[in-house]
Amino acid sequence: MNLAIADLPINPLLLYIACALGAVGVIFAMPRRGNNPAIVGGLVAAVAAGLVVLGLTLGSGRGEPTPSVFFYIFALLALGGGLRMITHPKPVYAALYFILTIIASSGLYLLLSAEFMAFALVVIYAGAIIITYLFVIMLATQAPSADDVDALSVYDASAHEPIAASAAGFVLLALLTTMLFHGTPDLPTRPGIDSSDAILARLPGKVDDALTPILLANGLMNEDERIARMADTGEVMINSAKHTVLVTNAEVAGEAPTRETGRLVEVPAELWPSDLSGTNVEGLGLNLLGEHPMTIEIAGVVLLMAMLGATVLARKQVDLEEEAKARQARHLALDGAIAGPGGAN
Amino acid sequence: MGVSMTTIMDAILSAAVAQHGGEAAHAAVAASHGVTGPLWIGLIPLLPLLGVVLVTLLACFNEKSKMPAWISVGLLAVSFLLTLFAYLGWNGHDAIHLKLWDWIGLSWGDLRGQTLAAGFAFYFDGLSLLWMLFVTGLACLIGLYASEYMEHDAGLGYCRFFAAFNLFVFSMSCLVMGDNLLMLFLGWEGVGLCSYLLIGYFYKKKSAVDAGMKAFVVNRIGDLGLLMGMLLTFTTFGTLQYDALFNQIHTGLTAGGTPLSQTWQVWAIPLLLMGGAFGKSAQLFFYVWLPDAMEGPTPVSALIHAATMVTAGVYLVARMMPLYLADPAHIALTAVTWGGAITAFWSATIAVAQFDIKRIMGYSTISQLGYMFAGLGVLATTGGVFHVFTHAFFKATLFLSCGAVMHGFAGQLDMRKLSGLWSINGFRVVVIAMLIGCLNLSGFPFTGGYFSKDMIIAEAFVTPDSVIAGSSWAGWLLLLTAGMTAYYTFRVFFRVFVGPVVYEPGEDLHAHDDHEHADAHGHGHGHDDAHDHAAEHFHPHGPKWAINLVLTLLSVGCILSAGLYFLGDHHGWAGGMVHASSAVVDTHAVEGGEEALLFGQPPHEIMFYISAVFGFGGILLAAWFHGPKGIAGLLIGGRTTAAEVRMDPIAKALRPISTWAVRKWYVDEFYHLVLVTPLKIFAHLFHWFDKLIVDGLVNFFGATPRVSSDAIGESTQTGVLHDYALRMVAGIAVVLVVVVLVLF
Amino acid sequence: MHALLADSTLTGGLLTLAQSDFPHALSTLTLNHYLFVSAAMFALGIIGFLTRRNLIIMFLCTELMFQAAGLALIAFGRYHLNFDGQSFVIFVLTIAAAEAAMALALVVLLFRRRESLDADLWAELKG
Repeated sequence: MNLAIADLPINPLLLYIACALGAVGVIFAMPRRGNNPAIVGGLVAAVAAGLVVLGLTLGSGRGEPTPSVFFYIFALLALGGGLRMITHPKPVYAALYFILTIIASSGLYLLLSAEFMAFALVVIYAGAIIITYLFVIMLATQAPSADDVDALSVYDASAHEPIAASAAGFVLLALLTTMLFHGTPDLPTRPGIDSSDAILARLPGKVDDALTPILLANGLMNEDERIARMADTGEVMINSAKHTVLVTNAEVAGEAPTRETGRLVEVPAELWPSDLSGTNVEGLGLNLLGEHPMTIEIAGVVLLMAMLGATVLARKQVDLEEEAKARQARHLALDGAIAGPGGAN
Repeated sequence: MGVSMTTIMDAILSAAVAQHGGEAAHAAVAASHGVTGPLWIGLIPLLPLLGVVLVTLLACFNEKSKMPAWISVGLLAVSFLLTLFAYLGWNGHDAIHLKLWDWIGLSWGDLRGQTLAAGFAFYFDGLSLLWMLFVTGLACLIGLYASEYMEHDAGLGYCRFFAAFNLFVFSMSCLVMGDNLLMLFLGWEGVGLCSYLLIGYFYKKKSAVDAGMKAFVVNRIGDLGLLMGMLLTFTTFGTLQYDALFNQIHTGLTAGGTPLSQTWQVWAIPLLLMGGAFGKSAQLFFYVWLPDAMEGPTPVSALIHAATMVTAGVYLVARMMPLYLADPAHIALTAVTWGGAITAFWSATIAVAQFDIKRIMGYSTISQLGYMFAGLGVLATTGGVFHVFTHAFFKATLFLSCGAVMHGFAGQLDMRKLSGLWSINGFRVVVIAMLIGCLNLSGFPFTGGYFSKDMIIAEAFVTPDSVIAGSSWAGWLLLLTAGMTAYYTFRVFFRVFVGPVVYEPGEDLHAHDDHEHADAHGHGHGHDDAHDHAAEHFHPHGPKWAINLVLTLLSVGCILSAGLYFLGDHHGWAGGMVHASSAVVDTHAVEGGEEALLFGQPPHEIMFYISAVFGFGGILLAAWFHGPKGIAGLLIGGRTTAAEVRMDPIAKALRPISTWAVRKWYVDEFYHLVLVTPLKIFAHLFHWFDKLIVDGLVNFFGATPRVSSDAIGESTQTGVLHDYALRMVAGIAVVLVVVVLVLF
Repeated sequence: MHALLADSTLTGGLLTLAQSDFPHALSTLTLNHYLFVSAAMFALGIIGFLTRRNLIIMFLCTELMFQAAGLALIAFGRYHLNFDGQSFVIFVLTIAAAEAAMALALVVLLFRRRESLDADLWAELKG
């Protein structure tokens, strides 16, 4: 095992210690009967996460830019929410903590310039999916006894082999991160592929609306000229950094414009519209519909089938034995007794 | 349904007529290699196949009416008419070819004999036309007969019967019309299957099921010969297609260029094919299945086990005649001759002692098939084929008459318990049909059976012993058999159909199929709880219109078939048909021009008198021993009851031999002892070997991981989701550890 | 919408941060930070799935694993400066929604049979 330590952004030893610490923290935080030092577990796990982040940030001596402070806040919230979610004995609270994780994740998405996905995540997950979960939790959970409706069910109050599971999970995490960190320096980058200009080039209408009045009003373009759209791709040629755009009169003359027949106009910086840029939503939309149309169709079918399947499954009648029916009837009566005073309030 | 059926038939018929004109014009310009037939010829086998589908559909709808019968009879009638059109449009000498599609095409090289190709193609020459005419015609008539005979089984049994019936006609058509040996094999196995299905039609009756199995197993042994013969044919001649095969044989060389007469295949192939033919046609050692096959419904016995399927062996030998003639020593032909002659005699000796009239007919079928083979063996293909044709009619008539008796007397077939049907109301048609059939079978002068049998026996004397060893001895054996045939045939007739009226109903009603029928049989019979009581009140019921009509038509056919002898130039109509087929034998070339004489006369002429003497002798003997008092017993009979006849004291005097004959010479017991018992012992041995050694080994290897895994599985296979998931994650972790250790 | 969000200081600030950054690729180090968060989230999901006995929470844990995968996808997409990562997250969300629908229907069905959400009660596969 000749780990090239210098290649890694974090000392492996530190990473593994942190993983072991995290495992211990999670084990402590797991629900169990009797004493429940969840706070201790959370603290240990937080220390472990902090160790890793510290190691990541300080361990690299290459002066690369590190994430902003927002990243640390959101990452801490997301991981803490996740930890609490898997350790909280009450399902409703677990779901609520998951919402916290979602919101923190959407913050991370924002930091990654994925605004649309950030808001979509909140709407779809926090707004729709988790609410469904909450409904099902309320539908399918019964208090274990009529006397103490706040008491936990046996299966919520105890974890299933927490030590083995945590060990397996964190061994997996250690290996996964080792491999990831080892691989990232070799990742190929393709900068500028979907840059703002690349998006704008595929949005000729937007460019037209923004630039044509300015160009005409300032005499930068003649009456018989238009912003050129390439004959082969239909894109416009625009460079926001240099404030240049290609115009042509070929369309008026009835010819297909090319780079050669066009005329590159340089717009003075003060005249260039400051808000002219390709946005995240536009880029995502172009990518989604331009390059993955078939996948969208398939996703639609999957959703439809899931809807049908869920309907069919949930409608299925279950034949219970007489005893079970009686038990359910008692539970229903109990629910009514609880709902009664609540309704009076 | 009826309307649409007629419309369809009209359409087919008009198409047939339209095609017919064009085909005749086409035939005029056709080369001698045969003509391409019109497409509707393909309908001849496919219509019965359609019948299978339709009847099966009716079975799905649980049809209770006689609709399956009408569909079958209609389709078979159209099939027959199409065959008739094909015959009328045939130019009389060239084979009609029609290839529907490529069926099998295997090629493993470019050389000759490295391509096994067989089309789903038809080959219509005189031989196949003759066969198809009586196959489709008789199938149609017997289907009509069965519509009444099987009526108490209306419902699923009825559908089952007619589905198998139609499938049989389809298979038989493939067998006969096929243009290569593979098509023949397809039909061969198909008819074997249908035979099995129909023998075991009363599947709740153990004897019927056993008989079906017996037929199937015995046929399989013969089929092995056929299959080996086919394979050897292919390796020797490089083809299975008839024309190509015959051309190759004509050259006198194998596909490899060796002169045929120097190869061993030249006698091995015909002998192997003969094995197949003997199995299907119940000859020599293989005959035991056919008498038992009488367990099937009588229409089946008439169509499959008398008229058509059992003649498939004869067809095979006739079709492959060039192959048999290719052997200069005529080994296979001699074997065919003696196999046929011995079988004819042997089964006649059994038939004279039996009391079950249907079984007697079964043994007589074996005997007559022996005649046909002997005829083919002594180069009288015309006689053999003509005998197939006449036999088809008169044996069908005889069986259907017996069936009518069985139908009317609740399954009674014992001649000791039946007598005087002529005097019972409603059986006149049956008796007359029976008489006509008996006269034909016994070779009464100027009946069809008389002419066809004479052609065979006479040719046995004509053919010199130097060509077919002992051919004249075979002729004497056949003559003796002819006398015995006349005797046992009229034994049945004199005992059952004339004389004092005595009858006892049979033990069971021949409907044990899908439902117990309460009183479908009518006339106060059929109540099981009061069987004895019911027997006292039993009244036989005569057949209704369908059976009577069919019997009448078949009797007319029997009578008319005699007239065929006088048609055409080549020894009658059948001779003309054979002459225009591969079965034609140039007797002068084979026999070297010499013609043996019998009593100083040409055998063909004197045989008319000799065989008439034998026939009359047999009939008179039967009349003396079994005939009733009075004119019906030819004035020499003396029988006054059903059970006692003049034969009884003689049989008693010949005690051991007569008992053996009644017990069918103990052949079944012999086979049981020599073949079945050792096989069963071996089977038990192998069963235990299989169970202890083979299964033991397999079980050991199976048990080892199971026992060892039980220990692990007890702790790991908890059924709890988490345990599995945890192990999965741990597994992934282990894999990743390995990857990390290897990569970094 | 854009203007509305831009008015609020926090989100506006964030948006500005994200927008101004956009043409520049992430550094490998920053990517590693995100990947670690993603991997840790995934590990938490697995541990939750392995330890919790409540069927609903087990499915919530699978959602957490989906989240982890989505975060990694978006980080990689940002690193490569294209939108494929975001597109894939949309599909991941779709599948997650479909899975949630089916899973919850199954949970309801299972609950009706055993009147309990304990996964240990379903041990028919015991060998």
